Amino acid sequence: MPRATAPYVLIFPSFLLASAIILWPLKEIVSLSLHDVNRFGMLRDFIGLEHFRVLFADPDFIAATWRTLLWTAAVVAGTLIISVPIALILNEDFYGRGIARILIMLPWAISLTMTAIVWRWALNGESGMLNSALRGLGLIDTNIQWLAQAATAFPMQIFIGILVSIPFTVTIFLGGLSSVPDDLYEAAATEGAGSWDQFRLITLPLLRPFINIAFVLNTIYVFNSFPIIWATTQGGPANSTDILVTYLYKTGFRVGKLGEAAAVSLIMFAILLVFTIIYVRLAMREAKA
Amino acid sequence: MSTKLKRSIIFWVLLSPIVVVILFPYAVMTISSLKSAQEVLNPNWWPSELHWQNFPEMWRTSGIAPALANSLYVSALSTALTILVSIPAAYALSRYQFTGRDVFRQFLLVSQMLSPIVLVIGLFRLVAGAGMIDSLNVLVVIYTAFNIAFCVWMLQSYFSTIPRDLEEAAWMEGASRWRTLAAVFLPLAVPAMVVTAIFTFINAWNEFVIALTMLRTEGSYTLPIRVFSLVAGRYTVDWHYVMAAAFVASVPVAVLFAWLQRYLVRGLSIGAVK
Repeated sequence: MPRATAPYVLIFPSFLLASAIILWPLKEIVSLSLHDVNRFGMLRDFIGLEHFRVLFADPDFIAATWRTLLWTAAVVAGTLIISVPIALILNEDFYGRGIARILIMLPWAISLTMTAIVWRWALNGESGMLNSALRGLGLIDTNIQWLAQAATAFPMQIFIGILVSIPFTVTIFLGGLSSVPDDLYEAAATEGAGSWDQFRLITLPLLRPFINIAFVLNTIYVFNSFPIIWATTQGGPANSTDILVTYLYKTGFRVGKLGEAAAVSLIMFAILLVFTIIYVRLAMREAKA
Repeated sequence: MSTKLKRSIIFWVLLSPIVVVILFPYAVMTISSLKSAQEVLNPNWWPSELHWQNFPEMWRTSGIAPALANSLYVSALSTALTILVSIPAAYALSRYQFTGRDVFRQFLLVSQMLSPIVLVIGLFRLVAGAGMIDSLNVLVVIYTAFNIAFCVWMLQSYFSTIPRDLEEAAWMEGASRWRTLAAVFLPLAVPAMVVTAIFTFINAWNEFVIALTMLRTEGSYTLPIRVFSLVAGRYTVDWHYVMAAAFVASVPVAVLFAWLQRYLVRGLSIGAVK
């Protein structure tokens, strides 16, 4: 194999596969979003931005968009705030650290669908063990119908979202902490810096790139997260816990409005692209540093 | 009391709330899977007797056996295919300088950002147009495509840590590039391949939305869809069977993961900064 063409031959299969599965559907979505489409996916007249206009006039879509932003912001912020101290503890040397790491990483290995289905059962009003655990602790007197109204269902979904995002985030932070040289702390200690100063002046700045990466990756994953909401409430009751992904799925596969669903995809794609560009910037800055 | 012991106690006390909350659903799953059909509706912790027969009964009635086979088929095949196409690409990125290298890297990055859910309408149209709904092989190809970015990225950052001197020494001895690759380079890269393979396997094993969209008949369901179908759109749900099924679907991968996680921390810490 001549040297000049070798790398192209080597990357070709992966490039072909990834671009076929990503660019081709993207092209389909663009054309669906600009045409009148019947529910069997037959393209009819070109209608320009009509689907987008319909979407922005739909209060459910607007509500789902705001809810998606709230969902993403709450889950990502909650995850980052809880993950930093966990990672700091798991980075220390103590008895049972191996077990503690495995326990905290566990939700990562278990399918989100399974976790969400189990939570749906645990949150059941009469038979759910969350109610009985909370009653046992004396925190509530009467059973709460957790998933029957958005006021309790959505915060619970955010809570589940945070729990399942912690493992990945802690893993990234542990990777970052393991790159902090110990002698920095020793030097700081001899200079008389207390542990809070050590955290503020050494750990946090060195962890910063990892926090950035965890922030952007989590934002993308949470924004796209489908199983938690779908398996607990399917966006209900009365669309009150819909986020964009569940709205998209319902519009496309329940109502059969493929054109509008494609338009939702493109709007999500545009939002994701902004995140991606931020991510590429961060990754590039890391690569140079 | 030694300082390490004291520290351990403090850390475990600090970690205990989060550990309890994380383990709570899995405890609910395990306990519910061992309760009888009547008792599962009572939210007390300990069942009066352990109903081990839930597992064989669930196995017979829920159709989980074919789903398990389907999940194994899809996960194993997409893992193999992902590794097969990712190794050459990662090797090219770590050993060659070529025009378009940065473009390819950015393409991979963008492809990782686009999740299946955003593309699901377009994918469904393509697959339906080709008359390949219910085909597990379509699932394999889609999973492979969405895992390539992560695998190439991980493998490449690992490959870059393998010193070039070793290969150059082999060339000096007169070995061809292919022979060097097979005898020197790839054996050194086995740990990274194992980690990425297991990671891809877990992703495919747990994937939900594409399978939910592409698989329409019960015979083709993978595990997450099978278990979900036991819950969704039903008036009466046999929760003890559902929990038993969720247990069977979760435990093998959880055990695999418990054994893998320390490698993953190391792998991601290299991958995250490169």
